[in-house]
Parts: sequence; structure tokens; C-alpha cells
Amino acid sequence: MKTSKSIFKIGIALCLGVLTFSSCKKNLPEERLSIANDSKYNVTVFQPVLGRSTLFNNIFQYGNSSRPLDFKIVNMRTFDGEPAPELTEHYPVLVWKGIYNGTEKSIEEIEAKRTIENHPLFDIRPHSGDFIMWASANSNMIKAQPDSGYVFDVEMSNSGGRKYFQNMRLMPLRERPYEPSNLDPITGQGTSVSVNPTSVFMAGQRGQYFNTRDDVQVLFKKTGNGNSLTIKFIDSLSNPIDPNNFDETDWENLVHGFNMKKDDKQVKYDVAYPIPLSSYPTKYTTVSGDQAHMVFRYSRMAFGNVLQKNYLTFNFKIFEKADWELTFWFKRDKPKFDND
Amino acid sequence: MKYIKYIIVLLLFTMQDVAWAQQRITVTGTVYDASSGKRDPLSSVTILSNGLSIGSTDNNGKFSINVPNNATLVFRTIGYDSKSVKVDNKTSLTVGLTSSSEKIAEVTVTSGYQTKSRTLNTGSAVTISGKDIQGQPAGDVMSLLQGKVAGLNIQNNTGAPGFRGSVTIRGISNINVTGNGNNAFLTPTSPLYVIDGVPVDDNADYSYGFQQAGPGVSPASQIPPEDIEDITVLKDAAATSLYGSRGAYGVILITTKRGNSKVPVVRYNGSAFMSAVPQLRSVIGGKEERLMRIRQILMNDTSAIHALDLVNNTPFLSDSLNAYYNNSTDWQSYFYKPTYNHNHNLNVSGGDVQFNYKVVLGAYDEKGIQENTGYSRYNLNMNMIYNPVQKFKIEALLNNSIQKQRMGSGNGLLNNGVATGGASSSLLPAPSLYSSVNSVLGALTTDDDNKVLNTNATVNIFYDLFRNFKAGVYNSYTTVSSTKDNFSPAALNSNQAKYYTYNDRATTLYNRAQLSYVFGFREKPGDEELAHNFNLFAFSELRASFFKSDAMLNDKVVNDQLRGPLTLMTSYLSSKGGTIGYTDLRTVAFAGNFSYNYKSKYVLDFNYRVDGLSTNGPNAGYKKNPSISLKWNFDRESFLDAWTWLDYGDFRVSYGSNISPNGNIYQAYGKLYAGGRYNNQNTVISDLGTLPNLSLEPTKATTYNFGMDFSIFQNRLSVMFDSYYKQNDHIFKEKQLSSSNSFNVIGSTEISNVNYGWEFQATARPLSPSSPFKWNLSGNFAINREILAKLPDGLREFIQIDNSLGQSLYYRLGTNSLSNYLFNTKGVYTSLDQIPVDPVTGLPVRVGGNGLLNYFKPGDPIYTDLDGNYIIDNYDQVIAGNSQPQITGGLMSLLQYKQWSLEVNTSFTLKRDILNNSLAAQFGLFGKPTEMGGLVPISQYNFWQNVGDDAVYPNPFDFVRSAILNPFRTNQTLFQEDGSYFKLNSVKVYYNVPQTLSQRYGMNRLSINFTAANLGYITRYSGPNPESVSALGRDMSGGYPLPKQFTLGLNVEF
Repeated sequence: MKTSKSIFKIGIALCLGVLTFSSCKKNLPEERLSIANDSKYNVTVFQPVLGRSTLFNNIFQYGNSSRPLDFKIVNMRTFDGEPAPELTEHYPVLVWKGIYNGTEKSIEEIEAKRTIENHPLFDIRPHSGDFIMWASANSNMIKAQPDSGYVFDVEMSNSGGRKYFQNMRLMPLRERPYEPSNLDPITGQGTSVSVNPTSVFMAGQRGQYFNTRDDVQVLFKKTGNGNSLTIKFIDSLSNPIDPNNFDETDWENLVHGFNMKKDDKQVKYDVAYPIPLSSYPTKYTTVSGDQAHMVFRYSRMAFGNVLQKNYLTFNFKIFEKADWELTFWFKRDKPKFDND
Repeated sequence: MKYIKYIIVLLLFTMQDVAWAQQRITVTGTVYDASSGKRDPLSSVTILSNGLSIGSTDNNGKFSINVPNNATLVFRTIGYDSKSVKVDNKTSLTVGLTSSSEKIAEVTVTSGYQTKSRTLNTGSAVTISGKDIQGQPAGDVMSLLQGKVAGLNIQNNTGAPGFRGSVTIRGISNINVTGNGNNAFLTPTSPLYVIDGVPVDDNADYSYGFQQAGPGVSPASQIPPEDIEDITVLKDAAATSLYGSRGAYGVILITTKRGNSKVPVVRYNGSAFMSAVPQLRSVIGGKEERLMRIRQILMNDTSAIHALDLVNNTPFLSDSLNAYYNNSTDWQSYFYKPTYNHNHNLNVSGGDVQFNYKVVLGAYDEKGIQENTGYSRYNLNMNMIYNPVQKFKIEALLNNSIQKQRMGSGNGLLNNGVATGGASSSLLPAPSLYSSVNSVLGALTTDDDNKVLNTNATVNIFYDLFRNFKAGVYNSYTTVSSTKDNFSPAALNSNQAKYYTYNDRATTLYNRAQLSYVFGFREKPGDEELAHNFNLFAFSELRASFFKSDAMLNDKVVNDQLRGPLTLMTSYLSSKGGTIGYTDLRTVAFAGNFSYNYKSKYVLDFNYRVDGLSTNGPNAGYKKNPSISLKWNFDRESFLDAWTWLDYGDFRVSYGSNISPNGNIYQAYGKLYAGGRYNNQNTVISDLGTLPNLSLEPTKATTYNFGMDFSIFQNRLSVMFDSYYKQNDHIFKEKQLSSSNSFNVIGSTEISNVNYGWEFQATARPLSPSSPFKWNLSGNFAINREILAKLPDGLREFIQIDNSLGQSLYYRLGTNSLSNYLFNTKGVYTSLDQIPVDPVTGLPVRVGGNGLLNYFKPGDPIYTDLDGNYIIDNYDQVIAGNSQPQITGGLMSLLQYKQWSLEVNTSFTLKRDILNNSLAAQFGLFGKPTEMGGLVPISQYNFWQNVGDDAVYPNPFDFVRSAILNPFRTNQTLFQEDGSYFKLNSVKVYYNVPQTLSQRYGMNRLSINFTAANLGYITRYSGPNPESVSALGRDMSGGYPLPKQFTLGLNVEF
């Protein structure tokens, strides 16, 4: 009996001790992340061009908020305050799941690296706050400029709390299926029929060297809904020039295309769109990888018996999947292929 | 020694006086151990008559006393039952004492400047006997305590002779870090050392090596281990509260030996020891180094043409016939070599309770295993206690030491010269005056001479005013002066030598006056025992400490031979001189203690201390530190009388607080200085650097402690358990002020952290007392959790950016203070399809811009992309790890058989994260095949070589991208490794030569010992040593490796 009483006493002492410490621990601060006042978006008006994937990154300044942060678009609405289901509902979009690096041997191989997923057309990266306008968004469903577009809020949160960034603007621009573009960004109407090539070094048959602004023009033309790219050369009278005249051109690696068909009027490739597929630098692109890069070359013996290396380069992008025809139009004079 | 003569004369007079008073006889005899069959003589047995100590036995158990012929003598010693014997006119007595079951219960514990029996001590304290740290020479005695006390975390993180490791009691109390990268150091919070009743501050001035200016010798290292009687570690507030200011980080009491033998005893402890170089890293040498670099370039460059061009444009790779590049130099061999050292201690002591004395002469000399480093200590310590009458006692102590230290070109803790030199390319020629590797010459030829002179004089006087009312006064004066002379020869400094000289002076005057009064009541008249016992204790404490240091740098000395006097400085821009440190601190304190116990069963202690510090802000005022503690000795309850197997058992609960001064007087009051003349008037200008903080507070530690002790089966097993919660408030940190303010910083005391944990310490004697073997097994472990509780201005978190290695520190409330901020490495990309791709752009994850080389490839590390933007940048770092050990402890075994004894000491540290900067640097060197540097073989590491390799470490050979990607960045979890270790601290073998044999040569005792120390580690850590890392857990190549030590020792007693 006495022993049990003593054990009881000792037990009480133990409990008291344990209690003392558990109550102390309760006062310790919880481990929480912080939300700072200096976190903010550096850009609040977003004007993506429809018909192409646009990523707005480096627009958020974390400040002293601790990562990871969660971002959410809330309250997407039109400028009048009406709901905008076209931007909140999920639509199929083409996303990358493999790395495109220019070594793919067929269109199937390229397509295997892409897949269709459902996403809201205007999306936010959940932890970085970057915005994405998917290529599937088009001006038939999305209000494009000159409309005032949409207004939305962003909720940023972590375990330390939440913060709202209000009245951010989304004002999409109409599709411009290719770059460089002759279309007006607001109206989508062409302001000219053609665009200029990147650089040219060629003499015309009349002896004048070409300039890129007036002498050579590039015309984009959609001929069907397939996935091919055709390249044509025409002279000032729209007569075709035989591409074989540009005999030093690396036709195989001109674009990342397959099944090249070259005759005396045109060169045609089966290609995957967009061109370039990504901005990863490859042999088909500019050094930065931003644009596809085409060079047409030939050499001739010029005046004074010097070897003249002639070239025509064109850096471009095409966003819309179609049968595109690229016509290089020597507007004023035919290039001179013969030796002097 | 002159006064001893007078004292002896005085002594004779008093004895005569007593002799006349009564009829007395001289009794001689022997006291032996009756519990063992061998009847071993017992030394140091106290002999009492009428409760008065009148003498003690010598080392042969013999005694000779002068007593009344009818006296009753009581023989008492620790570990044995007291025995009383009637003299009855006998002149010769043989007394046998049996070993006691209440061995531990009689142990006394000193805390709060009072010595009490263990039963009445309410605080958490652990005492280590001086015997436990013998046989192993050490520059710093604290290093020997590693793994011996639960909650005392000692990391011997440098092998530099004479330097101290980090010592913390119950977790870190400061979260400040100075410096950057490998030179980042945690502000140390060493406990307060009280040497023979006098506090010695260990956190001041330049006593840590990393504060470059001075010599860096620990004040605690002045006491040779051989001279230590015992060391007590006080952990909770009940034990430390009376130490008040500076007691916040725990208190360690060091008691030196006293004379206690009537016949003078001469003891000699000597040892010769060898410091062996630990396993150094192997290096790829000579031709192999060149071929390896060439192979790497050819195989990994962007094109074969570019690779050939690169090799041909790198002379040390292509010009293999050039004598300058055609070498195979083992750089480490120029720095490291085993050293032979010695240590001597001569102790002369004698006397009895009335008068005793001790003189210790010590010499310790250790050469470091790194060339040009070393530590010597010479000391002469004396103490004398004179107790002419029961009422009066005087104690005098005089400790002197000279410590010399050589640190080469490093600062002791770090020897970066050796590190950079040791990491030179093996292709370069061996060191000579014409060598290009200056750091080697620097380490070898720099003359670094540091001397610390330490003198401490203490006089303590005690007087019993009347019965049970004692008064005592402690006076102590300590002066420490240090000098440092560092001469760097002309060959190192563009043909003009450089001379740095430093001197400082630190004095401390300490005074404590104390009063104590003990009284008690009987419960009922006629009771034998006093039931209600009271103890009142009060003291006042004054301390004045002064420190001033001056330094001069003479940048261009005439030549290597002329090293002084310092002459007119030609290079006036870089030559500097002046006072670099000045403090003048005064503290005053009043403290009291009230202690009550009921039949020693229930004990209540109440302490109260009021401190005034000159560094406190004017609004901070006096600091009041109360503490209250309770103890229940449940073994004394009558209802437990049936539990005869219980020797003792108790519960302890305590609460209390302590402080430690912060900042300096300028941070509290501001600074004015004389400016130029303005309008023909002298001007006084306010220093706008620091805004005065009028309420600058000292750091306050508040501790709650719950403890339990018990011992069972006649001390076969004794256990101590403690659980604590310790909150440190008002931790100091300079706070940047807004740029709109005219001041730059303010010394703020707004940080708090909390340590809580559990400590467990047990001792077992598993063998039966009758066994010829005696085996003593003890072990302890402590779990410590540290949490940051408050940051200035209500911040929740704060990142201290490290600009040199990127190893920033993350302070976040609710988690451990010193968290690392790192890239989270999850492995290595084995193949291309493993690399994440941005679904929007189709681009692989990358660092920085859009260049082709910026994209990740197979063989690159997998870093967590925290914000999911497929770009790895500084925002992707995560809070990770804890640089502080969370579990520490040790195991000890002492096995004795006849004349032999074998002692094994081990310690362990678990749950600690180390950043292996050294390994990161080794891998990183492969990223620059065209730069000269030592290559370390990495074949033992699992690194990526081919597609499909499932590797731990990324591809080191891809040098083209290494500058962009930095795969071996130091701030990644790849190099944050588990630093847990189990260490074999020492193995000691003693042999006591039988007395019959040793006495033939006139020696009373003779023993020989062999000790092997720092034998090895069991660890998963990939670096050379998980312990020799900085207090922040960073393993840098500049560290000083811990040598293995083999000692042969001799102890002789005459």
C-alpha cells in the first residue's frame, strides 16, 4: 500500500516535470514562411500575341517573401466586370514533354516530344508567378485589342499568409502567324504585302547590288492546312528562278524539315510547326535560337576575276501550322548568277 | 617562501597553547581498507576529534596526531563508512574502514560559491575528478573533457597546439556569425570559468585564434591538467544563478590540487609524446597530373581543334621539358611532419588541515604537426592554506604562466597558407627562394612569435564571527599581457620585409565579500536531528577589468636582419599603428541565497542576484536575476525504507535566470571625438557610426530544469537525468539603420533563442565488489534542440548573405537558428530524358541566360527548381540543415586488475550537418585544367562519367561549362553531409609498480602509463575528419588537422 502511494507520488512529480516542459514548448514560434510587402509584379499589363505560346517571365520580384510561394489567378473578368469563362476553362493545348534540340530525324520523333493537355488559355506558373498565353488562344474566342481585354487578380500565398495583386490587365493582340510580320498588331490587317529579308549580298543582272529594303522581298502565303514549307524564288516579272542556281546552299539543313522535294521551281519540306520549334539554339536557327535562319548561297567570278560569295539570309518564325509558301521576290532585278 | 617560516613559527605557538591546556598523548597508526582482503592503506583519511579536523593520513595510510588521552577519534573519508575509535591512552591504533554504500551521497558539490553535500544541492551539476583526465598531455585542458559530461558539447575542431575547441553548455546562446565563407565564425559563447573561486572570463578580447590581431591563447589553458583536482560543470540556473553576469552560458569550476599530506610529497608527472600526422589527402603528382589535364581537355572541349590550341597555349601542359614545369613535388611533405614533444610537472605539497601548501612547476612543449607552429607553456602555481584556529582561515594562491605560441603564416585556427601551398600543382619546383609558390615560403619562413604572460594572485580570508556565522573575503588580481611579433621576410613582400607587432594588457581586479549563517530547529525538543535547517548566504561582488591592445604594422622594413626598432615608415599608406582595442568594464553585484531543508528530505533554494554593468545602457538599469529550486530526496521518505536496494534518489525542479554582458560602452552611450578646428574653435564631433542604445541590455538566459538522480544496489548503478528549457533573450546583434538616418548601425538586443533538451548520465560497476577486477563503466548523452524564437523588428526570417562562398545563413523563427541556405541537390542527371523540360517553350532547365552552354545536360547535378520556372537561380535555394550537433555524449570504461588499469574514452556527436567545402574545392579544381593547382584523385567517389551512370557527384571534367554551371558550388546539399561520428578519444594503460619494489628505490609510488589519443572516428562523413570543422560545421581545407598522439608517461612520488 505504502509502496503504491510512493509510486503515485513519484509519478506525480514526473508528470509535473513533463508538464512544465510541454507548456514551455507551446510558447515557441511556429515555423512559418514570410510574406513581405516588397513582393510585387514589375509588369501589370500583359499584351500577348494570340496564336502563339507566350511566356511572361522575370516579371515578379520575390522581395523578402520566402519561397516556395503559391500563385493563383483569381477573379478573371472582362473589362466590364463580366465573367470570362473563355480564359478560366480548360482547353487542349500543345505542350512539350521532351527536349527539342534539333537532332530529331522525323516529324514523328518531334511529335513524340509533344502532347496535348488541357489548360486554361491564360495560365500562371504555380510557384513562380510567370504567366503563359497558350498558342491555342485565338481571337475568335478571346477578346483581342482594340478591345480593352480582361482584368484579373493574383493571389500569392505561403504558410506565412497571403497577398493579392489586383486589377492586372490582359490585353491580347491579334494573331500574327509569322514574324517578321507585315500585319498591324492591333487590327491584324496587312500594312504591306511583304517583308524584308535579313541580309543580302548579290548583284543584279543590271550590275546593281541589291539592298534588303527594296530589292528583295519575302512573301508569306498559306496554301493549305498541312504541315509543309515551300520556298520559291521569283524575279521581278514573277517568273520562277531555279533554286538550283543557289548551288552552294545547304539544302538538307536549310530548315529542320524532312522529305525535301526540290525541282527547278521550288523546294518543299515537311516540317513541324511552329518554326523554330523552340528557342534552343540549333543549326537551323540563329545563334540565340530565337529565329529560324536560312541562307541561300552561290559563288561567281566577279569583275576583276575575284570569287564573289553571294548570299541571301532570312531569319523568321512561323507560328501557325499550315502549308506555308515562302516566296523570295527579286523585285527590281534578277540576281546575276553568271561570271563576269 | 619567506613567510612560510613565520607561519610555521606561528603554528608551533598555537600547538603549544593547546598542549598546555590538556593532558595529551601522541597517537600514531595506520588506516587500511577493511573491505578488501589486501588491507590496502588508505590515504587522505580525515581524522576528527570533537567534530574538529585534526589531521589526515599520509599516502601510506599512516598518521600521527596529538590528542587528549581520552579522546574519541572519527576517521572519515569519501567512499568509506566513518568509524569512531576511543583512544583510551593507546599510542598506536590500526583502523580498518569498510567501503560505504553511500559513496555518492557524501560527495560534495560546489555551486554558487558554496560547497554543499550532494543531498542538499538542488542544481544540475556534474563533477569530473582530475584523475579522469590524467595521462594525456594537452595544451587546453577542456579538450580532455570531451564526452565526459552530458550537455557539455566540446568539439576539438582544431589540432593547432594550445588552441581550444568550441565549448558550449546546453546549446548555442549566440547566433552571430562574423566573416565570410571559410572564414565565417560563430561568435563563441564559452562558459564562465571559475578557477579556485575566482571567475575568469573566456569570451573577451582576442583569445580566439580567428580574431587575427592577437596571439589567441585561452585563459583556461593556463592550468596544466596535472594540477587539477576536479572540474565541476554547472548547467541549470539553480546552480549558476549566483554567478550572475557572465553566467548565462553555463559555469565550469576548476579546483586545483591542495596539499594534504603532513610529510611533504614530491610528485613528478612527465610524459614524452609524439604527435603523428593524420592521413593526409593523396595528390596526383608529376607526369600523371599533366597527362590527366591534357586528357581532360582533349575529351571535353568543344572541338578537337580548340582543345589542341588550348593545350598548346598552356605552357605548363605543353612545355613538359621545361625544368620549371617538370617536377613532381609533394607539397604537403614540406608542411607536415610528426613531432616529438614533452611535458613535465613537478608538484611539491604538504601540510595538514592547519597549514598546507602546494607548489607546481610545469613545462609543456608541443610542436605542431604543421611546420612553424607550436605551443609551449611554463607555469609556476602555488597555493597555501593556513587555518591556525577553527575560526580563521587564509588561503593564498599565486598562478603564473608563460605561454608561447607559433602560428606560422596562419592565425592558428586556420592556416590558409598551408592550404593554398599544399594545393599547389605538383609540376612546380620544390620550395626555394626562387619558387613562385609564395604561400609555401610564407608558411615556412614567417616568424611568428606570440607570448602570453599570465599572473593571478588570490588571497581569501575566512572568519567565523560567531557560531555558524561565517564571513569570507576573496580578492584576486589577474594580469595578462600578450605580445605578437610577426615578421614576414623580404622574399615574400616584393623585396621589402614586413613587420607586425602587437601587445595588449588585460587586468582584472575581483573582490567578493560573503557572509553565511546556518541555523536549525528541532521538530520536538529532545530530537537528535535538526528538522528545519536554514542557510543564509549573501555576498557582494565587484569586478573591474581593463583591456587595451596596440598594434603596429610596418609595411617596409629595411631588411630581413633588422627587425626593430620600428623605424620611420616609408610606406605610410599601408603602415598602420594605434590602439585597436580598449575596454574598461566595471560590474557590481549583490546576491543572496536562502536555503531551507526539512531533514534533508525537502530542500528549497532561493537565490537572488542584482547586477550592475557599465556596458548596460543608462535605461537598462540593474539586472535582477532570481532563481528558485526544489529538491525532494525521496529515498529519505520512511515509506521507502523497504527499498533497501535504493542508495539515494531525488527529484529536482528549478527555475532561474542569468545574464551575460553585451556590446561595449560606446554602443550604450555613443562616442565623441575631437574634430578639426572650425571658426577658430576646437570641435567635438559625435561618431555617427553607432547610434547609442540607451537601453542596451545584457543577454539574459532563463532556465527551467527538471532533474532526477538515483543510485541502486550499493552504487552498482547510478543515474542522473535532466530535462531543461533554456531561453536566451536580448542576444546582441548590430542592426543596420535606414539610410535616411544619419547613423549607420545600432547595437540591438532583440534576438531570442531557445534550447531545450534532455541529458542522461549513468555510471555502472557491473562486477561484484569481491572480484579482483574492478570495472567502471560510464556513459552519457545529451539531446539538444535549438530554436530561434525572436528576431529584431518582429522579423520572421532573415538571410545573412555570404558573398564569398554563397553559404548564406538562414535565420527563421521556429527552426534552428543557424540553418544553411542551399541548392537542394537531388542527384545527377543520368541521361537526356531525365532533364525537365519547360512545357511552354520546350527548353530544358537552365542556369542564367539562353546560351547553348547554359542548359543542363546529363552529368549535371539535379537541383530543385523551387519556383518551377525552369531556371536555376539564387531563388531556388532552400533552408537546410543544422550546423550544430544535436546529440552528444560519450562512453568511458575503466578496468583495473591488480597493478594494471586500462581506460578507454570515447565520445560521439550525432545529427550534425557539415558542409564539405574541402571536397567541393577538390572537385572544383578539375573545372580549370589550365590553371595550376593540386589535383586530388577522385576515383574513390562515385561521379558521373557516361550516359546512364547513376552517380552521386556530377561530371567534374566538363570544364567548358563549369564556370557557367558551377556544378561543384559549395552552397548545395550535395556537400552537406551527415557529420555524425563516434570517436575513440583515448586508450590509456597504467601500470603501478608494486610499492615494495618502488620503495626499494626510495619512491613512494611509481606508475607508468601509455596513452594513445585521437585514434580514429567511425563516421559516414566523406572528409578526413568530421570533428575538425568550424563551429559552423564547415570543413575547409585551411583547417588544422587533429594529430594522433602517442604518450609515454611516468608518475613518481617521493
